[in-house]
Amino acid sequence: MSRSILLWASAWLALITGLHGGLNLDWFRERAERQSADAREFGVGFLPVTCHLTCPVTDFINRNTGGNGFFQPMRFSGFPELKEMFLGRPKDMPASFILAPMAIALREQGVKIKIVYLGHRDGSALMVHKDSGIHVPADLRGRTIAVPGRYANQRLIIYRELKKIGMTLSDVKIVEMPPPDMPAALFSRAVDAITSGEPFMGQTELDGYGRVLWQAKDVWPGFISCVLAVHEDAIRDHRAEIQALVNGIARSGKWVDQSLEHRLDAAEFVAKGYYNQDPRLLRFVLSKPPDRVTYSRLTPLRADFEEIQRLAREAGILAGTVNFEDYVDDSFAAEANAQPALNFEVKR
Amino acid sequence: MNHSPSLARIPRSRKLEVVLPFLVGLLFLTAWHLTVKASGSDIFPTPYAVLGGLAELARQGLLLKYIVASLYRVSWGFGMAVLVGVPLGLVLGWFRPAFAALNPFIQILRPISPIAWIPVAILWFGVKDTAPIFLIFLASVFPIAVSSMSAVQNMQQVYLRAAQNFGLEGGSLFRRVILPAALPQIITGIRIALGVAWLVVVAAEMIAVNSGLGYLIIDARNAGKRYDLVVAGMVMIGLIGLLLDLLVRRLERFDEVRWGYGQR
Repeated sequence: MSRSILLWASAWLALITGLHGGLNLDWFRERAERQSADAREFGVGFLPVTCHLTCPVTDFINRNTGGNGFFQPMRFSGFPELKEMFLGRPKDMPASFILAPMAIALREQGVKIKIVYLGHRDGSALMVHKDSGIHVPADLRGRTIAVPGRYANQRLIIYRELKKIGMTLSDVKIVEMPPPDMPAALFSRAVDAITSGEPFMGQTELDGYGRVLWQAKDVWPGFISCVLAVHEDAIRDHRAEIQALVNGIARSGKWVDQSLEHRLDAAEFVAKGYYNQDPRLLRFVLSKPPDRVTYSRLTPLRADFEEIQRLAREAGILAGTVNFEDYVDDSFAAEANAQPALNFEVKR
Repeated sequence: MNHSPSLARIPRSRKLEVVLPFLVGLLFLTAWHLTVKASGSDIFPTPYAVLGGLAELARQGLLLKYIVASLYRVSWGFGMAVLVGVPLGLVLGWFRPAFAALNPFIQILRPISPIAWIPVAILWFGVKDTAPIFLIFLASVFPIAVSSMSAVQNMQQVYLRAAQNFGLEGGSLFRRVILPAALPQIITGIRIALGVAWLVVVAAEMIAVNSGLGYLIIDARNAGKRYDLVVAGMVMIGLIGLLLDLLVRRLERFDEVRWGYGQR
């Protein structure tokens, strides 16, 4: 009996490994094709949100103009997993799009992380149910609001907006929730309000049950949620590659902001090839209105970060033990800003 | 095997065994459909929408890819758990000092959910296949080790004495008496562990792998209002789990295993 079981088990393992290799790992592709894929070893982490849109846009346009992309976009479903990969395997994934306060908090905890560029400006909203009685920020008193996490900048907007009307975070109930779960939570009215990056806020509007209480761009112009952060070892050892990445992000950001047509093209190829979402959703959040989220003016500026740090300290999220110079390296920004927009048109 | 008296009174009927589950399934699907319709929700899918989701995945070739990816990870994680867990359990069951030394440690590790291990798995293994395989291994190795251990410890002494009277010792005592006597309980442990291994596939694939039925569920959550795909992932996990259990049950039919059941 034991021999036949062993035989069956080995045969099964060989079969399923071969199938997995063939179907999911491209083991049997042409060697040349594989080698070019292997050359793209340098991973950049991102989530399927509009704050990280320039990551896939850069990769897509590079692969469709120069042949190969020069980095490997690595998609995650949540910030904790992305952060763990960045901390545990900085050689495999030395750069990542990450929440700005989270990057600062990691620096406070001694992680060798530097913010080199921004991911976007604006592109966040606070949504309430359309039938709710919440019409002005003061109506949020005693209500439950879902935020993406402790280090999400959306928490700081709430703090900032409540402060304007003499309220504090203790006047509302904040719960943490992964952004993809937020639309269903608002629909079922498990929470009274939700706030995160797009496209999850736009989705509730598109599906007809969400109403905007505020758009980030209206209450905090130039709002920053996510930044491009790099491990210091990579800055030391692979400066040229990091510069190329920052240049790519800058150029694709300019390309997206160049015209509505580019935005709609980006919505199409990013939704299909990278985010695995219905393109309708990205089309909506990138075009209605077109400045809901923007991708120019991406240099990390001292004034912006000092405001984030001050608010985060007041809200009790950051300790305030590090300075702008400790967590930002803006030496890549000047060359990146001087680059022209990518020259690319989708073939029709 | 014996049935309990109340079951034994009702004569077995092949027809009933097919018709009854079918009827329950139909009832369940109808109730599901009507509840969704009555609630007016356009977020939670009807069974028909889930079927549509499955068809869409099949058309795109994703269904096969994802099933293969999940089976691959479970096969390796679970296979390694059997290779480590069974010998470990047998040794711990037979040698008292080994049991005394390691059992408390195993009992501490055993109740830790694989979900708690996710951060550690990413830090150690990154986001390739190794991390989910490690999680599935962890989830299944303890039930296997513990059942093998107690199988040896609870073995009837009469077998041992009889074997020793016949002069069996060492390797042949182990091969011809201890292992066969312990086998039914080991197989039961393996069966439970395979269920657990398949159960944690969703948690294991929460890590940024980009294939698998667990990934399908996580990915569908990212995709906006695609709860039809979430439920489609759940349905596939359930159906394949059933097939896996039927497969392991076949192990219990081997003569060597039936020998051990003789005492019951």
